[in-house]
Amino acid sequence: MRALTESVAWNNLQQHACAAKQQHLAALFAQDPQRFKRFSFQQGSLLLDLSKQRISIETVELLLQLAAQQELPARIEALFRGDIVNCSEQRPALHTALREPEGTVVRVDGKNIVPDIQRNLVRMKVLVDAIHSQQWRGYAGDAIDTIVCIGVGGSDLGPVMTCRALAEFAPEPAAHLKMHFVSSMDGSQLARELQKLIPERTLFIVASKSFSTIDTMANASTARAWLEKYTDAPVEVLLERHFIGISATAARMTEWGIHPEHQLEMWSWVGGRFSMWSAIGLPVALHIGYQGFLRLLEGAHQMDLHFRHSRLEQNLPVLLALTEIWNINFLGIHAHAILPYDGRLQHLPAYLEQLQMESNGKSTTRHNQSVSYRTCPVLWGEIGPNAQHAFYQLLHQGTEDVMCDFVVSARRYSHRKNDELRHQHHLAQANLLAQSRLLAFGDHALPPDAHTPAYKRYAGNQPSTTILLDQLTPETFGQLIALYEHKVFVQAMVWDINPFDQWGVEQGKVMATQLMPVLTDSSVALDAELDSSTANLVRAIRHEQKQENI
Amino acid sequence: MKISIWGRELSAWVAGAALARAGNHIAFCSLGEQALADDLIVQSEPGLKELLLSQYNAGRIQFLEHDSFCSDCYENEVHWLAYGAGEYDQAVYLVQKLARTHTGQLLLINQSYFNLGATESLASYLDSKCGQFIACLPSTLSEGSALNDFLSPASFIAGCDQSQAFSHIRALLRPFMNNIKELQLMSAREAEFTKFAINGMLALRLGYINEMANLADSINVDIERVRDAMISDYRIGPHHLSPGCGFGGSVFSIYIRGLIEAFQHRQLPSILNTLIDENERQKELPFRKLWQHFACDVRGKTFTIWGASFKPLTANISNAPALKIIDALLAQGCSVRVHDPAALENLKSYYDCNKRGKVESLELCVDMYEALNNSSGLILATEWKQYFSPDYKELRKRMVVPLIIDGRNIYDREYLQDTGFIYYGVGR
Repeated sequence: MRALTESVAWNNLQQHACAAKQQHLAALFAQDPQRFKRFSFQQGSLLLDLSKQRISIETVELLLQLAAQQELPARIEALFRGDIVNCSEQRPALHTALREPEGTVVRVDGKNIVPDIQRNLVRMKVLVDAIHSQQWRGYAGDAIDTIVCIGVGGSDLGPVMTCRALAEFAPEPAAHLKMHFVSSMDGSQLARELQKLIPERTLFIVASKSFSTIDTMANASTARAWLEKYTDAPVEVLLERHFIGISATAARMTEWGIHPEHQLEMWSWVGGRFSMWSAIGLPVALHIGYQGFLRLLEGAHQMDLHFRHSRLEQNLPVLLALTEIWNINFLGIHAHAILPYDGRLQHLPAYLEQLQMESNGKSTTRHNQSVSYRTCPVLWGEIGPNAQHAFYQLLHQGTEDVMCDFVVSARRYSHRKNDELRHQHHLAQANLLAQSRLLAFGDHALPPDAHTPAYKRYAGNQPSTTILLDQLTPETFGQLIALYEHKVFVQAMVWDINPFDQWGVEQGKVMATQLMPVLTDSSVALDAELDSSTANLVRAIRHEQKQENI
Repeated sequence: MKISIWGRELSAWVAGAALARAGNHIAFCSLGEQALADDLIVQSEPGLKELLLSQYNAGRIQFLEHDSFCSDCYENEVHWLAYGAGEYDQAVYLVQKLARTHTGQLLLINQSYFNLGATESLASYLDSKCGQFIACLPSTLSEGSALNDFLSPASFIAGCDQSQAFSHIRALLRPFMNNIKELQLMSAREAEFTKFAINGMLALRLGYINEMANLADSINVDIERVRDAMISDYRIGPHHLSPGCGFGGSVFSIYIRGLIEAFQHRQLPSILNTLIDENERQKELPFRKLWQHFACDVRGKTFTIWGASFKPLTANISNAPALKIIDALLAQGCSVRVHDPAALENLKSYYDCNKRGKVESLELCVDMYEALNNSSGLILATEWKQYFSPDYKELRKRMVVPLIIDGRNIYDREYLQDTGFIYYGVGR
């Protein structure tokens, strides 16, 4: 099979890039008054503006040829159909099925999984109702008013992000609930929370696909010990009344002590970082209500339908993905900043860091060959206006090319006329527009002045995407996240990598387990094979611990 | 004087009876004659029924409920407003009509359960230049001694913003002022605020003793003994210091919530917020005791509740602790059998109207012993007198588990334990 970089479509793009690289965004806009119309796309309440990307009509045509060459339409269909798209683990990746409405059919191994998904949603609703009606009782009979969500990675980032983003949609029955998220392995987040919490009224949600993630299980054990220390109530009672488990491995939940009625299922065919649509989203349903959670699913489902059924040249996730591939592989841009101009989207960057870098941070093709091209860039981000005071200097005048995603909603605080907060929203929008403009056009956006010193000049030509939501609602937020998920998939298909595994994070866990004994027991001899840096760091730690014990 | 009395609250009855005894002619404009025979307040308030009957027979009391369009109601010179919390609109209607149609001196006494500022608002409809005045006379009646409280009060507080009205007020109240040197006169707003402040204080005492009771529970101390010792200190006194499973009723919560709103409006924190939250928790205390006794395993069991009204001698169930207990038990899949001497009808319509969960698991029993059939525990939620000395043998016979959760500390713990009951009280 011919390597991607030797393919016709790739070579055509490379040739096209030689000329395109010389073109400044300011010139592209000057040449084409229709540019915004040509390169902006709408799906539902979401507007995707790619006109500030360094693309032309020809670029898009060539990119679409690349997509066709990589058999993208067939790959998309395979994803939705439940084919084994995760080849290294021999699984489908059916996060889209989680958003299917009742009555549809998606088969895995011949079995329709939609009824299972719907059943699990109903079980989730039962738990949410019990907690919202203040009838979930702790061991002492108190109503639960505090939820501590224990999870890490995909079991944490999605729920945290969504709860923060959609907090204002919390229904009245959720108003009494205090939500906390703990993920850090060292227990520092958990310890800080436990100091303030009332055991009788606290419920822990332990979420782990495998129910063996060491970070999560360590925090869960600490939570259990905290309860046991506080009361003489039998441990079975504490486990039953104060823990909900969410996992794909029911047996491990049972073994740990989660009551069978309080186990929510997820499935091996859902990737962790794609799992907030499953029972992993329970904290979201608790925070914004079960109906709010369904609205989130519906928004994502609308994007699914669009992605599956729209032609490539109108397909938002496809166009977004291809544009970035253009930046990465043909313009040589290897950094990507995520810049929401909305404090509610504070956790979007962290979420996308995982979604994109864990999915596409790969260098082996699906056929076990090393790739000879760049894949996922380094991705980071921050609330835009705050980042303006942090790293925008580099974006404007540094030596790195960076592509940016600007995200904002058109309307906010609409019910408050002439209000100060509304004014602040307009201020944020004005800043977004100013920054994306200056990044694109540089000095061209300023009045010409021959005397401007070099250090006050702006080169511009930094490409950016702007995503404009009508308003931030559960539906539009679902659309937004599904857009990114599908973009990641499209890029992986073009690069011919598997976005659904994460072998790169496995070996470190094994190695950590092997290193535990030398830290917990000073009499254990150090492995002679250990490198000198690690060995001496262990000795330094042991030395300090010894001092402490004297 | 000729006095019209509006509203059906306790103060309507008490003021009417007392004022009639002093020689006034009273027209009850919101009450019918039948009420004399069947109104719960009349039946239960000591001495009230007798006084009403004697005044009625003497021809000084009329009931005009069904004749309220007759002009007598409006022509009287004094109008006593004893409306309930939800009846402000009626008061406005009345005051507007009086202002429009009444000629000559007009004095309105507002003793209704309205929010802060209500008297001032009502005054705005009147024309003081034509001798139309309204005063706020906050009710200081306690149930059980209400008549005596009115006939020989420790103090009278009257609030009015027109000093010309005070002589009229003084004349009206003069027959009851033997024991006090003078009326405490103040503005209408101050008089209203006094009433709110008093209720807030009483609620705080209840909240405080409940908090002490809950602590006593966990350190093995009997709060009843502690309470008895506390009240022997003259600075503390005995009132509103009985621990129990929370206070309810519409009036108390109107005053407390009214105060909380006043604080919130000014964005100030208040101790009363905590008080209300903790009181709501306290209402579930009997449920928690039950839950702990059965180690969280109550599903499928039957429990009994004695007393559904928020306090004895009323059919009113608003904010009653029993409601929260019933909801909690139903939510856990229990069957609940409830007895109350007066409130069952209200309870029935409350659960029918609210369609709260499995109402089929809720049985309302007219016989207090029948409510105990197959019961794994009795919760005493309201201290009706008929519950104080029940037939314990009958209890043992009907109950599956001889368990009593005494939400009002009315039983003798040692006696019950000696006779084989499992007993839980509040703070003991």
